Amino acid sequence: MDQRIVDELARIVGNEFVSTREDVLLTYSASASTGYESVQPGAVVKPGSTQEVADILKVANKYKIPVTPRSGGSSLQGEAIPKPDGLVVELLRLKDITVFEELRSVRVGAGITFGKLDKLLNQYDLWVPIYPESALVCTLAGNVAVNGAGPGSTAYGCIAEMVLGLEVVLPDGTIIQTGTEGNPNAPGPFLRYAFGPDLTGLFIGSLGSLGIITSVSVKTFKRVHHFHYETYGFETKQQAERFLIELKQNEIHALFVSIYEGKILDFFMDMLGEEYGIPKHEWPALTVSVTLGRVREDQLKSDIKLAKQICKQLEGHVIGIGELPKGEWDDRMRTFARSSYAHGWHWRILYHHQPPSNWHRSIEEIWAIMDKYHLLGHTAGFQSGHGSYNYYPHLYFDPQDKEEEMKVREAHKELAQRLFKTGAVPFKLAPYWIEDVEEMKDYLNLIKTLKRVIDPNNIMNPGIFGDM
Amino acid sequence: MNTKVVSELVKIVGEEYVSTRVDVLLTYSETASMAKDPVTPGAVARPGSAEEVSQILQLCNKNKILVTPRSGGSSLQGEAIPKPDGLVVDLLRIKGITLHKELRSVTVGSGITFGELDKFLNQHDLWVPVAPESALICSVAGNVAVNGAGPGSSAYGCIAEMVLGVEVVLPNGEIIQTGSEANPNAPGPFLRYAFGPDLTGLFIGSLGSLGIITKVSLKTYKRMHQFHYETYGFDTAEQSEKFLIEVKNNDVLPMFASVYEGPVLNFFMDMVGEEYGIPEHEWPHRTVSMTIGRLREDRMKSDAKKAKEICEQLGGHVIGISELPQGEWEGRFWTFVRTCYIHGWHWRTLYHHQTPTNSHRSVEEITAAMDEHGFLGHTAGFLSGHSTMNMYPHFYFDPLDKEEDHMIRAAHDELAITLYKTGAVPFKLAEYWKGRMEGMEDYMKLLSAIKETLDPNGILNPGVLGGI
Amino acid sequence: MTEIDLDDLMENLAQCRRCGICRDAVYEDMGFDGICPVWKNTAGFETSFMRGKLMIAIALLEGRLEKTSDNTEALYACSLCGNCTEICAAEFDPKESLELVRAVLSDIPNEVRDTLAERILTTNNPYVTDKKGKRDWVAELGFEPPTKADTLYYFGCTAGMKLPETAKAAARLLKAAGIEFAVLEDEPCCGSVMIRTGRLQDAEENAKKVLESIQESGAKTVLVSCAGCLKTLRKDYPEKFNLSMPKIVHFVEYFLELVKSGKIKLKPLGKNVKITYHDPCHMGRELGIYEEPRDLLKAIPGVELVEMETNRRAAMCCGAGGGLRSYDPELSKKIAADRVREAEETGAEIIANACPFCEQNLESGAKLIDSSIRVADIVDLIVDLIE
Repeated sequence: MDQRIVDELARIVGNEFVSTREDVLLTYSASASTGYESVQPGAVVKPGSTQEVADILKVANKYKIPVTPRSGGSSLQGEAIPKPDGLVVELLRLKDITVFEELRSVRVGAGITFGKLDKLLNQYDLWVPIYPESALVCTLAGNVAVNGAGPGSTAYGCIAEMVLGLEVVLPDGTIIQTGTEGNPNAPGPFLRYAFGPDLTGLFIGSLGSLGIITSVSVKTFKRVHHFHYETYGFETKQQAERFLIELKQNEIHALFVSIYEGKILDFFMDMLGEEYGIPKHEWPALTVSVTLGRVREDQLKSDIKLAKQICKQLEGHVIGIGELPKGEWDDRMRTFARSSYAHGWHWRILYHHQPPSNWHRSIEEIWAIMDKYHLLGHTAGFQSGHGSYNYYPHLYFDPQDKEEEMKVREAHKELAQRLFKTGAVPFKLAPYWIEDVEEMKDYLNLIKTLKRVIDPNNIMNPGIFGDM
Repeated sequence: MNTKVVSELVKIVGEEYVSTRVDVLLTYSETASMAKDPVTPGAVARPGSAEEVSQILQLCNKNKILVTPRSGGSSLQGEAIPKPDGLVVDLLRIKGITLHKELRSVTVGSGITFGELDKFLNQHDLWVPVAPESALICSVAGNVAVNGAGPGSSAYGCIAEMVLGVEVVLPNGEIIQTGSEANPNAPGPFLRYAFGPDLTGLFIGSLGSLGIITKVSLKTYKRMHQFHYETYGFDTAEQSEKFLIEVKNNDVLPMFASVYEGPVLNFFMDMVGEEYGIPEHEWPHRTVSMTIGRLREDRMKSDAKKAKEICEQLGGHVIGISELPQGEWEGRFWTFVRTCYIHGWHWRTLYHHQTPTNSHRSVEEITAAMDEHGFLGHTAGFLSGHSTMNMYPHFYFDPLDKEEDHMIRAAHDELAITLYKTGAVPFKLAEYWKGRMEGMEDYMKLLSAIKETLDPNGILNPGVLGGI
Repeated sequence: MTEIDLDDLMENLAQCRRCGICRDAVYEDMGFDGICPVWKNTAGFETSFMRGKLMIAIALLEGRLEKTSDNTEALYACSLCGNCTEICAAEFDPKESLELVRAVLSDIPNEVRDTLAERILTTNNPYVTDKKGKRDWVAELGFEPPTKADTLYYFGCTAGMKLPETAKAAARLLKAAGIEFAVLEDEPCCGSVMIRTGRLQDAEENAKKVLESIQESGAKTVLVSCAGCLKTLRKDYPEKFNLSMPKIVHFVEYFLELVKSGKIKLKPLGKNVKITYHDPCHMGRELGIYEEPRDLLKAIPGVELVEMETNRRAAMCCGAGGGLRSYDPELSKKIAADRVREAEETGAEIIANACPFCEQNLESGAKLIDSSIRVADIVDLIVDLIE
């Protein structure tokens, strides 16, 4: 990168927090996204305040330097891979946390991880009841930018549902505050839908392409202390799917619900069964692992009873092994990382949502692709809100086998197209989902139009939604 | 209006559904918004499909004709007052209700009112648990465009929280579908947050200025049959505010909870007390009227018990008069209209949100304004989500007294500034907020830029969205 | 010596999927409140914590990054505290892998590393360029321990040269407990820092020398007061160099047994003395010795043991290890200061520890922030308490 630009950046953040060292640039050329090519940026800068972010973007805009915002670096679908000679803006120094007990909310800087926030809120007997699988690494701001989900989402939906407002720096350096805090006199965040059209949503899931989120305000809830962990066995996919719908329909407060096929469960058990103290079992064709949670104990008991009743009505049976959901829930900030890495493979992931009633369609396509390409991998997911199920298929490859890696990339792309045809939707938009879909051209066009007005020089994470 | 344009309109919707008759235009020159000057449009068109809406907008764009979308005509803040010689697009002919039982959702055309939808869903023992006070008149689409709230919002938030996607016609005529239905293969609406940035939110609360909503998809829930109605008395405003927060914190499900000042309640009782069979009572300084609802009886009873406990812990007392909340809830599609009109005055409203712990500030400022200007009116509010209250002050005037009408308008506009300074936020960015939100210039600039991009000729409801 | 299997190492490094959990995970249920002390106490670029270090390691080994001193800086800016290994979700040991990478890349010039090794090899200590002084403390004991006995006190370079009071206290403690012990005439350095910084071959030669000296003393039990010596002699020598060592016991373990069996009794240290304990990485995470030092402290009448926010397997490091104190003294002290702050938050008067190397650095850290907290070896604390 041009030394003059680097000097300007150094004037903003101080010499200590800009780097063009080769080794530093190398470490910012990739993220937790395996199966993506590394790209070396031209510089990395670590601002310490929103104003510094604004000043940095003004410089980037002036020189038309592509900018990649980054915080935890834990995203799995290439969201934070820089552009050649571009600028990485790393936000981990933005560390403020303000709790608004009376407003039932909290505001955090872009450098605050879920783990850190959870520990703080625990002191107030509060929580933000959604935990992405990378909760110890990823920041709330980063998670909002990719609109993640995880344990807790079964009851509360994706992270978008928690957001009450965002502080965003636009590409031209303007600082915008959405939600109630847009009013400088407001006592804090208490409503997302303030001041007309919902501008907050525009930045949720924007993958850093419209602006840099520097602060996130989210809802807090009284921490749940009454849990019940249970597994429910079913013979058919339709029964298991129906069970999920009925749980929601009957207002059973399930914090985390997953459907496992027998063979996937056996695979997980081989890896981690012992570690989590899960007894040996002849798992049925479909197992639904459920964590119920309630603020009040009597409510929990009522939920347990009804869940059992629904299971039986659907001709399923209560398995009685609570260790599986308990392991998932209690260690929710690490279990998923553990099960993603314990097996040794590298992998590519293809996040998507299906309605529970269409759960089996994803399974069918994923296995078909694995067979076709002779790949290993697995798929699992969890119920992620009112009527959706978050899938996270993994396609494995040996990192030292380039050919296999390329095969996985190809399979991944075909799988996206096949899943799209089953009606699945990505919540993180990537070009491979829709590049050839005629019916979505206008939709994509609208996103591009908005991108153009907010970012006329196209400096923010360009290309992340495909060719603009 | 130019006869060539009118004949083009006729070609699109058929002769029957276009009118330039003076009497017709007169009836479209106003809405339920009082204290607004009528404006006669040049024509009214009543399209029967999104495709027709699209053609109309293309035509208007070409001829730079100003367009005012309208459905129920029940909005109270001047959202659907046309432009001189402009075109009113009346959307009531776009009917159609599609239930997606498995997806827990329903899709309605922009002509469907809440009353119609509720009757339909009742056959399936389902409901959309949020309905505005004008539920029998306003369409779901219109309510999404103004992001309304009402009974049910205390538990479920404003209507935005129910939306899973919208079909919207952009000013250039492009028809965009947001949410999971953007995928043409999707089985229906099951997730709002699909395909990257949340474009749905952009049209929620947009007051018809960014596009015309022709279809809305919403969450459905199993209909509740277990209710508990109670009134809770408090000696201080702070206690009653804290009560609402604690009810939410402790996972009691209040379908509708309002705080009434003693004097306001006495005023209401004088009006409708007898009609609703509410016994005479010396109402305390603050009364919270609350309807608790649950699917299951045991849970409803548990909530009722908990609410009582919280009330007493805060030094309040259970009043024991259930007729007030019961009247509000059971008559929710009509009660509010009744109390708004029974007294005979005309009025102006100033919708805004406050967090419960700050809601006394609104009461103070509104009372002060009434004292200062010497007009009559009232204010009350209801809990409308996670930690917010929807306040709906009414300022009365005699429609035959022009002077009073203008005094009310001035007082109203002044109060907008005062309330903003207390930290209140508008969720409907009605015209009068323009220039009255100090410190939000950058926010409004972004909104304007988006408006200009989507609607470069400024044909859609110009000036309505905060003056944009 | 066991050759480093490069394929095996590469396979291990490939286990890192760059999830980043090794940066600053805060996981209350598991006790973690931040992971990497280097990340926390520097500008915090990716190069500062393990994920970035392993990326650099792989790039250097694959030849994608030029093998220069500059490009290996990040590999050495690490105290090898192993907190990352504790939280790592993958099936490999990142800290151990980095240590091996340093060895594989030991041809790349590094003055600090080589100076340390030269000193150890020629003068039996990493601190000064002559042999003088390492045993001076013995003269101040008031008695002369023999050079041969069943039990050997292997006092180590730091106690001997930097904290002689601790060495003396240890010796007095043994005498007070009635234990006959030897001290070597010319004690070689354990060579821990050579293993950590990648001079493995030299470390192995040195290890043989150490074993020889121990054998010459006739010791069946080797007592150490330094956590670094303990880990090196007990674990590294057998595992890395295939050496058969006599029993290596830390003072804390040894005296806890004596207290437990009633062979010695401790007098009160004072009244309600609040003490917190700093887990040395080499004793805690490396050897799993967490409770013994705590039990010994709790056995002292008048002591109230309080825990720091991070302790045991999740304890933050003092910043001295892995060669960091020599490689980047300023950073090392900053990390120590951070740990001292954590200790101060407990309200403790004393940070007890069981490692002179930690103690030395914690003292530097305390000085850096003008902390009045006392840093003391457990040995120092109990030496005058034996009834």
